[in-house]
Amino acid sequence: MDNSSSPSETAGKPIICKAAVCRGPGDPLVIEEIEVAPPRAWEVRIKILCTALCHSDVTFWKLNKAPLSVFPRIFGHEAVGVVESVGENVEEVKSGDTVLPVFLPNCGECRDCKRKKGNACSEIDTVMHHVMPRDGSSRFKDRNGEVIHHFLFVSSFSEYTVVDVSVVVKISPQIPVDKACLLSCGVTTGVGSAWKVADVEEGSTVAIFGLGAVGLAVAEGARLRGVSKIIGVDVNPSKFEKGKIYGLTDFINPENCGEKRVSQVIKELTGDGADYCFECVGMASLVEEAFESTRVGGSTIVIGVDLHGTPLKLSCFDLLMGRSVKGSFFGGVKPKLDIPLLAQKYIDKELNLDGFVTHEVSFQDINKAFDYLMQGKSIRCIIWINP
Amino acid sequence: MEKKSGSPSKTAGKPILCKAAVCRAAGEPLVIEEIQVDPPKAWEVRIKILCSSLCHSDVTIWQSNTSPLAVFPRILGHESVGEVESVGEHVEEVKEGDRVLPVCIPTCGECRECKFKKKNVCSMFDVKRQNAMPRDGSSRFKDLKGEVVHHFLCLSSFSQYTVVDVSQVVKISTEIPIDKACLLSCGVATGVGSVWKVAEVEEGSTVAVFGLGAVGLAVVEGARLQGASKIIGIDPNPAKFEIGKKFGMTKFVDPTACGEKSVSQVIKELTNGSGADYCFECVGLASLVEEAFASSAEGGRTILIGFDISGTPLKLNSLDLLQGRSVMGSFLGGVKPKLDIPVLVKKYLDKELNLDGFVTHEVSLEEINKAFDYLLQGKSIRCLIWMNK
Repeated sequence: MDNSSSPSETAGKPIICKAAVCRGPGDPLVIEEIEVAPPRAWEVRIKILCTALCHSDVTFWKLNKAPLSVFPRIFGHEAVGVVESVGENVEEVKSGDTVLPVFLPNCGECRDCKRKKGNACSEIDTVMHHVMPRDGSSRFKDRNGEVIHHFLFVSSFSEYTVVDVSVVVKISPQIPVDKACLLSCGVTTGVGSAWKVADVEEGSTVAIFGLGAVGLAVAEGARLRGVSKIIGVDVNPSKFEKGKIYGLTDFINPENCGEKRVSQVIKELTGDGADYCFECVGMASLVEEAFESTRVGGSTIVIGVDLHGTPLKLSCFDLLMGRSVKGSFFGGVKPKLDIPLLAQKYIDKELNLDGFVTHEVSFQDINKAFDYLMQGKSIRCIIWINP
Repeated sequence: MEKKSGSPSKTAGKPILCKAAVCRAAGEPLVIEEIQVDPPKAWEVRIKILCSSLCHSDVTIWQSNTSPLAVFPRILGHESVGEVESVGEHVEEVKEGDRVLPVCIPTCGECRECKFKKKNVCSMFDVKRQNAMPRDGSSRFKDLKGEVVHHFLCLSSFSQYTVVDVSQVVKISTEIPIDKACLLSCGVATGVGSVWKVAEVEEGSTVAVFGLGAVGLAVVEGARLQGASKIIGIDPNPAKFEIGKKFGMTKFVDPTACGEKSVSQVIKELTNGSGADYCFECVGLASLVEEAFASSAEGGRTILIGFDISGTPLKLNSLDLLQGRSVMGSFLGGVKPKLDIPVLVKKYLDKELNLDGFVTHEVSLEEINKAFDYLLQGKSIRCLIWMNK
């Protein structure tokens, strides 16, 4: 029974619905009929309203390297949905609630969740995200009864998905669905990196390497804190105009620097280096450039995912004199505590979420979202699943 | 020209002849010589050093033959306590007779770094120009032949008298005993500050300290004060076990006795498989910083305090960073000297901060080279050098 209007009709039963399945690295997704099992204990089955493509989906989609890549798989991890039914022991959400599934668990009970600092959750093993975390099995089957793997605990490229309650964030239904979706990954990562990981202060100077959705969200977060300079670095000149909406004051195109390195240009613009440099692309060499671009005592925040595991080389002396390098996982945000706060800031008209969504497609056209992103045309493309 | 004047006003404005331990070549024993110390110019303070202590950074620089660090002859020493003998024009914050700590970072209060809450390396002076007075680049020291003797970190505390810029002078209470006060001008401030200001260790967290010299032990003490639940000390010298315990260490790891396992594996086992929330490297080896980083938990912080003079780069895995880990350096423990050192003095006077046990040896100025021997042989934590006894 797909697209059921009354969740109680499907509760406890498998749901047959459509999903965009990936059967091989880099292969176009195929819309197939799948079966979604009911939620077990501590699980929530969600009807996905819309989802967006994040570059991390693309990175994993292209990857052909066990054990990180498994096929067939349902990608997607930035989404908003409505709870269809819940398994035993789930009390914090119920059918009908508007929720964001997120890729970072937040059980709220473990030592790390209780610590004020940081956002690790030691309850759930984040490495094994291709299956349900508590029992290691999948809730998806294709028409032949074969297992389809999960992705980042979310798998939002499906009309219905099942997630662990530790990754479900309840949010206000007041926030428009296409804006809410952004808060389940990209924008929260960017704003959180500026506020929680870097903790940028008024009057400081910021440089952002890579002006995709995350980089622009860093700019928005920095703007809200009253930062005095926001320098955007990107090879795509159209990102400058876009970035200005979020407070960008200067723009550097690395291809137009001539003999100079980007770090030199940043030093010239800031009188010796930026207080905070954010790497939002995912290349060790760019992190090193960002580090070079900081002033004495400056901080480099690493957000982009470099899956090659290329080592970073840093100067001990520069670190000794007070510089730092900080990794940002989901913007240092504790999802269940911090995302509702961001949603409220949007509702209160402080946080600007306009302009992130540049394209929209139907579920059938999901592969266009990949094209738009890889061609550098989009910031965020929303895929309407259950509009 | 009077030596060892009892009344400061007699020597004010005039050069002073006194003793100093002069370094004339890298790695060679210091020579006790008579030198001339010029009066302080504008913004300067001439200080009678009461006692000084040897820090490993002095030894690192003393052994170095590579410019621009190497300049001879010079007066080393940067951890000390003294009394103001006279001040130059414009100096209002201290006066003759005040008890002061000369420190290696200025606090001008005006620059960006001084104004930012999170920073402490004041940009008033160029760190590279540390072998002379910072404002005019000239020396206040001359040897008996009239030749210039260079400064060190603009401090030079291995001398009975020195001249320091007022931005590097911290006034302190006379209530704290001199031998304790001395420790707060570098080593202990660096260790405790690294915990309190750089790492911001919170109650219940787990801490690993690589290297249990004075700075490492001060990190242990700082972690104890912040209520850390586990403090793991790592040192190849088994004698450090007993002394570490006194400061609050809960577990000791001898890296030479781990068998097949790496130190990071042992630390993970000691922290329920996660790794430590905070790892401090207090030795000065890029490879050890990498080991410390590997010992940190997801979201953990690695603090680099030791000075690796070799210039070896630190190699980190970006994926490890992505799990929220961070690496940060600490210069003088993130401390803003004029603001934070008096706070540490108060913590000592209020019996919160324990400074007992750091000073393990004492020598006179004439025996200063013994202090180097004790440190290099791993016998001492801090050896005090009494300058004016």
